[in-house]
Amino acid sequence: MEKSDGKTGTVSRRTFLKGVTGAGLTGAVAALTGCKSTGKPAGGTGWTPQQYNVPENWPVQVRGRVPIDTENPSIVRDDKKCILCGQCIEACSKVQSVQGYYELPIKDDITCVNCGQCSLWCPTAAISERDDVDKVIAALKDKNLHVIVQTAPATRVAVGEEFGMPPGSIIEGKMVAALKKMGFDGVFDTNFTADLTIMEEGTELVTRVKNALAGGHGGGEGGHHAPMALPQFTSCSPGWVKFCEYFYPDLLDHMSTCKSPQQMLGALAKTYYAKKKRIDPVKIVSVSIMPCTAKKFEAARPEMNSAGIKNGNAKMIDVDYALTTRELAKMMKIFQIDLTALKDQRYDNIMGEGTGAAVIFGTTGGVMEAAIRSGYFLLTGQNPPELLFNLEPVRGLQGVKKAALNVPGVGELRVAISHGLGNARVLLDQLRDDKKNHREPRFHFIEFMSCPGGCIGGGGQPRTALPPSDAVRQARLDSLYTMDAKIYKKRLSHENKEVQQIYTEFLGKPNSKLAHELLHTKYTDRGSHLTAKKKA
Amino acid sequence: MSKAVLVDVTKCYGCGACTVACKLWNGKKYDDAKKPTVGEKAQLTDINWTVVSKHQVPDASGKTVWRFAKKQCLHCEEPACASSCLVGALRKTEEGPVVYYPDLCVGCRYCMIACPFGIPKYEWDKSFPEVSKCQMCSSRLAKNEVPACVSVCPNGVMKFGDSDQILKDARATIASDKRYIKHIYGEKEAGGTAWMYISDQPFEKLAFKTAVKNQSLPEYTWKIINKIPAALVVWGGILTGVYMITNRRNAVKSSKNNENKGGKS
Repeated sequence: MEKSDGKTGTVSRRTFLKGVTGAGLTGAVAALTGCKSTGKPAGGTGWTPQQYNVPENWPVQVRGRVPIDTENPSIVRDDKKCILCGQCIEACSKVQSVQGYYELPIKDDITCVNCGQCSLWCPTAAISERDDVDKVIAALKDKNLHVIVQTAPATRVAVGEEFGMPPGSIIEGKMVAALKKMGFDGVFDTNFTADLTIMEEGTELVTRVKNALAGGHGGGEGGHHAPMALPQFTSCSPGWVKFCEYFYPDLLDHMSTCKSPQQMLGALAKTYYAKKKRIDPVKIVSVSIMPCTAKKFEAARPEMNSAGIKNGNAKMIDVDYALTTRELAKMMKIFQIDLTALKDQRYDNIMGEGTGAAVIFGTTGGVMEAAIRSGYFLLTGQNPPELLFNLEPVRGLQGVKKAALNVPGVGELRVAISHGLGNARVLLDQLRDDKKNHREPRFHFIEFMSCPGGCIGGGGQPRTALPPSDAVRQARLDSLYTMDAKIYKKRLSHENKEVQQIYTEFLGKPNSKLAHELLHTKYTDRGSHLTAKKKA
Repeated sequence: MSKAVLVDVTKCYGCGACTVACKLWNGKKYDDAKKPTVGEKAQLTDINWTVVSKHQVPDASGKTVWRFAKKQCLHCEEPACASSCLVGALRKTEEGPVVYYPDLCVGCRYCMIACPFGIPKYEWDKSFPEVSKCQMCSSRLAKNEVPACVSVCPNGVMKFGDSDQILKDARATIASDKRYIKHIYGEKEAGGTAWMYISDQPFEKLAFKTAVKNQSLPEYTWKIINKIPAALVVWGGILTGVYMITNRRNAVKSSKNNENKGGKS
């Protein structure tokens, strides 16, 4: 190569031609080896489930998913884990008859009854409860706060599953021990307020029945208007309550005005308990352990601040945090508590006693059976005959159950039970039809539970390897009946000593003015937030 | 035959299954905190090829109602992005999708400026970024499968088919049901797009770009660009003429000067 001796810019003809030829050759080779091809288009590197990979617009078995509002107080979804398997739609539509039972376009709400069945069916746990564990742990760490907890009937036969025990394992005492170990200042039993519910709801039923027998349309006690419609509906299941508010608001007069046991205990903790223990209600943090995701929604309902109103602070809510059974198990694991290794402990008084009638609240038919036992007493002044302690027609996993029994002095008391909201529609549509045609009500009392099997099959219960099955539900349900028949000493709500105590010391008598202020509620017509389908 | 999709806004309940299908099929990342795919803050981004945006709008009686609008590339019949691309990295295919070939892209981002809908996004977070937008699942269409988002919709919000038929269906639907506004978004916008929308709410309230002209942008620029060869010839002719005239003038001038010099000496 020639050097230009410091003179820049001079290139020999030979060098120039070499350069040009070289560049030309490189270009030609590059073009031939692929620079001219377009390469692959962007995207299309992933996958979708098999049912979606078929030609054209053929129908498929399951498609898409349920809508979940980002503001939903009960459940959340992590899109990263969603595989569009469609199981949530199966649960929401086929089991609960919610998705697909309203017209499109939607109005100003994403219709959800917060039952959380979708979270049980979701195979990847993309749908789960809104996790409040951290908030409860923070409250436990704060020494200025008095943190109390209540546990629902159904959690004590399920939380063991999260520690490898078989479904239905009865671990009530160990669970109480674990809660005390975590540092809760008071460990109470929702069974206590379940018994209280029976007193309130039973009295309400007796009032309604007597009113009907008298052929009148009377009001309640204390000058307030109380609905008198028969049949009376149970109101313990917040998913069911919201379902009725959405799809059958015309029947809300039938809904018992009683709060659920969770909310009763919440309201009493910040009034009755605070007063007796001389604790400033502001410092009480009320936690509940529930088999249910809808309980989170219920606790956040704006009207659930009776204790707050009583204490002159409407912002104070009755139940601060509602945790699911799954969250409880997670919390125990965070605290490194081996549930199975603990020694049994007892619930704290003055809200810790429960009867067998209360514990069966956790299964379908249980509230009814408990109500019948004490309702019999309330109507006749005598304890029920032995038969009513094993009321077979109201037990079991059949979707809709019916029973009739003779109550001396009243006549035939007819009751019905449904669990799973799809089954509720059978009874509700029938009642609507009867009312339209001015027929006598077929039943006096109907128990509705949102979830299949009742609370033992609740949306906040431990997940199982398979989709929620009757085998697991039956095991949990059997355990509750075992506890009722063999473990608990008392089987009648009205014999609960602490319940008797709260009436003598605080509430007066069932359905009193104070009881109405703290233990009863009213409902919201949500019919304007959707267009319910006439026939789905 | 060119394919099209009709989106019926009134049928969407905002589950976002379509956005998940898109991420699954295209292997896109999730960033729910900064780049949500469903809701009031949902925006198309480099990782969100499709989103479902939530809008609170008044209904006929003045009551607030929620509407969800599924957004993605509209796949113009005459895409401005493709016409602006210097290297042919964006191409309109016969089946309808406007497809992006990252291997060809030089990263000039003209397409982002050219698109009247603001669809193409850039992977600013990456060391070797690419332009990023919906491909209308071109590889699925090649197998006669519908786009992933369409395939998963539980409510049949999206209807996929031949574009003539889709347009016919859209017209029939808005004519037969008085709830719908009488406008098919995408029928004429930017010269027509493969994705079309019908709605009971005005499209501007659902954050659709309604100021887009009906004429396609490539057609608009073509009116000028197609005159360039003629202009070049004419301009060349004029310049040649000017050159020849000035040349001649100079030649005459210099010969005169020589004569004058010669005369004096």
